[in-house]
Amino acid sequence: MTDSTARLRRRLHETVLASRVAVRRADSVGVAFATAIAYLFGFLWATNSFTVRFGAGFSWRLVDDPFTRALERRGPTSFEPIAVVDAGFGTVLLAPIDLGIGIALSALVGLNVALAYLALVQPASCGIGAGAGAAAAVPALLSGSVCCAPVVLLVLGIQASGALLTVLPWLLPLGAALLVGSLVYVAGKVGLERGPMDSEPNR
Amino acid sequence: MDRRLSRRGALALAAVGIVGCLGDSDSGPYDGNGESNATTTGGMETTPDDDAIADSPLPIRDGQLPVEYELKALREAVVRSVVPQDGIPAVDGPEFEPVDDVGDRIRDGDPVFGVRRGGEAKAYPQSILVHHEIVNDEIGGEPVAVTYCPLTGTAMGFERGDTTLGVSGHLLNSNLVMYDRADESYWPQMLATAIEGDLEAASLLEFPVVWTTWERWIEAYPDSTVLTEETGYARDYDGDPYGTYNPKTGYYGEDSDWMFDPLQADDSHPPKQVFLCSRPEDGPLAISLEALREHGVYGIDRAGHDYLAAYDPELEFGRLYRTEDADAFDYEDGAVIDPDGDRHDPTDLALEAVYAYDAMWFAWKGFYPSTTVHD
Repeated sequence: MTDSTARLRRRLHETVLASRVAVRRADSVGVAFATAIAYLFGFLWATNSFTVRFGAGFSWRLVDDPFTRALERRGPTSFEPIAVVDAGFGTVLLAPIDLGIGIALSALVGLNVALAYLALVQPASCGIGAGAGAAAAVPALLSGSVCCAPVVLLVLGIQASGALLTVLPWLLPLGAALLVGSLVYVAGKVGLERGPMDSEPNR
Repeated sequence: MDRRLSRRGALALAAVGIVGCLGDSDSGPYDGNGESNATTTGGMETTPDDDAIADSPLPIRDGQLPVEYELKALREAVVRSVVPQDGIPAVDGPEFEPVDDVGDRIRDGDPVFGVRRGGEAKAYPQSILVHHEIVNDEIGGEPVAVTYCPLTGTAMGFERGDTTLGVSGHLLNSNLVMYDRADESYWPQMLATAIEGDLEAASLLEFPVVWTTWERWIEAYPDSTVLTEETGYARDYDGDPYGTYNPKTGYYGEDSDWMFDPLQADDSHPPKQVFLCSRPEDGPLAISLEALREHGVYGIDRAGHDYLAAYDPELEFGRLYRTEDADAFDYEDGAVIDPDGDRHDPTDLALEAVYAYDAMWFAWKGFYPSTTVHD
């Protein structure tokens, strides 16, 4: 095993351990949960799957053959919704795969922010730079690009170009990779050998 | 629309950053000058393959419609895979209901696309077609496709024979590129002529689709039926991703920017100003709907004959006719006065009707740079 491979394995192991710490403390779990929920709604909103509409009433409509429909692509990283749900304060398009993507990203964002929170409340013990967790916000925003490309272009106010249309499908995987990268980075700052809540900083 | 724009602002900033990193010099805010991404040639010289036409279930027009570019140049200008093929799904099994059953689903001023054909009148709400762009339907027992491109503001009808049309996911000059599911030839909606595939250079049979409001349509055709939201797909039909028409906001605003570079840029009119457009054999023409509304009739002199545009105040829609002397016609209280002094419904003049449709200025000028403009 090469040194770089060993370092990578060690870093991934530290990431798992640091994440476990973050989900064991009630306060950091609360931060992670609140962040994830907020991000999930933001994700659904940005991808046109959730629209705030007071007075929307309460009803729902399921398409015929939802299992087949759920697997049909409607964008580079977006799939067909199978139900429209009016929930009083808004309308939700329920696309199972998109929702799964949103939940996975939300979990990553929540975990990132939970580690950043630990860095803020116990900086001496964990030694995490407060700005490290804030980086989670950037990929979180990028990941919203699963919505249809023309709409993104409309917001950008720019003419389409080959480069832009090539980039758009990659924003979601890029966002997810950045989230994982920031998690690994932050986890590397945690003094796991002496326990993450030891009184001395790791470095 | 403002709300929808703002919620995507964060995504936009992120995307701008990435594209900027790639050094995409073509991207940037629209400055009103615009760039052209194709040059006009002497026009299409390709002729369609007669065998392909004979083998195709698609009804093909006798004679080609005018196309002002060589097909190769158009194919190179296509923006491909903006969404996957059928990523915007056509409605293949449309359901309709009587006007009386609609309730408050459609507001009086909401745009609808109306078709009267074979003794049948049908309305297709813009709020549904903006999510599907094509409805493969039967009207008066005849298979047709009612199509709408939100980016060029064009609603057009086509005969489809024993096949159906789908959304290719490509755009040309911002315009919907359809594909036929029998031959998979590619048909930009506004050209109605295939630019790629076995049927390239062949033209579809068109029929007019009236762009009007719900209130006006049901007043004119109370026995009409209307497309329901039972499309087979889950969509938020109360939301339009591009803006609103009632009132006009967002992408639909007259002065708003186009999204994709047109084939030919021209800033002599606001990009989204609506014109009544036609492409007869003696050259394309565009008549400002605003001017037509103001004058009621509008005559256009051409060598050998004239064209007469007449405004239908009932549906707020323009009609185009060919005539010998357009100056001999007048307009009074919503009626066209013919040379004998008789009054006529603007929709039913005893003249040769010429196919015309509403389109946004930038899109029309892009496809037909030689167009004459009448405002």
